Amino acid sequence: MTPFAPEAVWIERGEVGTPLAQAVIARLGADAVRLFDPPDGPRPVGVRAGKRVLVLRRHGGAFLRQCPAGTAGLVCCSYLTLNLASNCPMDCAYCFLQDYLADAPALTAYTNVGEALAEVAAVLDAHPARPFRIGTGEIADSLALDPLTALSRQLVPFFAARPNATLELKTKTECVDELLALEPNGRVVVSWSLNAAAVIRRDEPGTATLAERLGAARRVAEAGYRIGAHFDPLVEFDGWERGYAEAVDALAAAVDRRHIAWVSLGSLRLTPALAQAVRRRETPAGVLAAELVAGPDGKARVWRGLRLRMYRALVTRLRAAFGDVPLYLCMEPAPVWRQVMDEVPSDRALGLRLAAGASW
Amino acid sequence: MADDAIRAYAAARRFGAATLERWLGLTPAARAALLALAERCRLGENQFRDVLDDLVDIAVRRDADPSAVLEDPAIAALWRRGLGRNQAIKALKDVLRGLRHPQRTAIEARLAALARSLRLPAGAQLTWPPGLEGEQLTLTLRAGSVAELRAQAAAVAAVAGDAAVDEMFALLEGRW
Repeated sequence: MTPFAPEAVWIERGEVGTPLAQAVIARLGADAVRLFDPPDGPRPVGVRAGKRVLVLRRHGGAFLRQCPAGTAGLVCCSYLTLNLASNCPMDCAYCFLQDYLADAPALTAYTNVGEALAEVAAVLDAHPARPFRIGTGEIADSLALDPLTALSRQLVPFFAARPNATLELKTKTECVDELLALEPNGRVVVSWSLNAAAVIRRDEPGTATLAERLGAARRVAEAGYRIGAHFDPLVEFDGWERGYAEAVDALAAAVDRRHIAWVSLGSLRLTPALAQAVRRRETPAGVLAAELVAGPDGKARVWRGLRLRMYRALVTRLRAAFGDVPLYLCMEPAPVWRQVMDEVPSDRALGLRLAAGASW
Repeated sequence: MADDAIRAYAAARRFGAATLERWLGLTPAARAALLALAERCRLGENQFRDVLDDLVDIAVRRDADPSAVLEDPAIAALWRRGLGRNQAIKALKDVLRGLRHPQRTAIEARLAALARSLRLPAGAQLTWPPGLEGEQLTLTLRAGSVAELRAQAAAVAAVAGDAAVDEMFALLEGRW
């Protein structure tokens, strides 16, 4: 994949001395950077314009949140998200950020990482017997900016020293160089969002190819990290059976099953607003071709029977390849779990199971 | 010229700017084909937008231009039926829905055929979830007397073991 090169970099004046800002300046040079004083600053219009300008600034609110996938009526994996950045330089056709960040589209990395980690430490210390799974890939790609910000140098040592937490770095890139020199101590899972190669080519512009992602996964596995895989969103297209079978086989060929912490499956889901954003894209998105119907939560998914077929096909293939590696469904109700997995775990039980799968 | 006609049509029907922009953003062939369709059916904005959404989605599914979708034999057959405006629009939407959701439409047709094969008594109705988003069949009995209810229940019990019922559940559960 082509490394991300922002058209402009803006840094909040008072944050220039932070490790994050210094890392960016060291890589791009001071001449490449412009300073701003809040509330002034860059105001890109539109999510796609926002992807081309990198903004470094303080974050004023909470960093740690419950994963929004924990919607009532759906089985939840008790995941926490740590929002250290917002937006993403890649441009997936189905990405919910097209709607979610429509009013605040600037690609932003937060500079007060120390405050974020102090917030995490307070939660972990308050519940020392509870295992936490915390991810940074909710409203940003966990590693897309790492070649510029070297954020992983702050995150990995912090979590490596924490006995009751696992950090998940979720990405569609091959930006793992910073990770290779760090010691995860069994507390960091590097996860890839995976898809059929045809979907990646058509609907995930700017991302690493499937082969590049799996090559990067092999490298970090060899460096001591556990690996996660998220087949999400599963997209129904002509030839999906073969496309997803090949993706599972490619994962199995790249990463030994002993390195896999967990694998999730999730169906393509579009809110009405996101569907309209997808329709406004210059190139018609392939995801629009899927047979979607609106569910009780208002999101359109592939209709139930076809969705169950897709899940079963993937689960069968994954079980054959990875044995008893923890598998879970993202944002699905109990009846779907029962049909696909022959069980409906409680949110707590699922969270504990996945946390156990993350440790060596 | 075609774009002028499109603007004139949109202005006459008070289309929003976003809808007009989407229309004008199509290929020339698609713009013209949509204009012919809109004029034939005298589509209002909401109707036009629904049709446009379906056409674009079907075109993506077929890797074709929306104008090619409008040449589908199922749509061409509509115009030979001599339908009135409202009937034509409804029929068009039904055809587009079938083209947009071919697998789901086929499963729904199969479910309907299986339900008919059970020959349930009058007053008994078997339905499935809208959009097939669920695995439950719903059986409704409408009886005006105890005797009628008992007769319906007996008839339903007699067919409950029919292989058609097994197949209906299998279809809803994605096992086909």
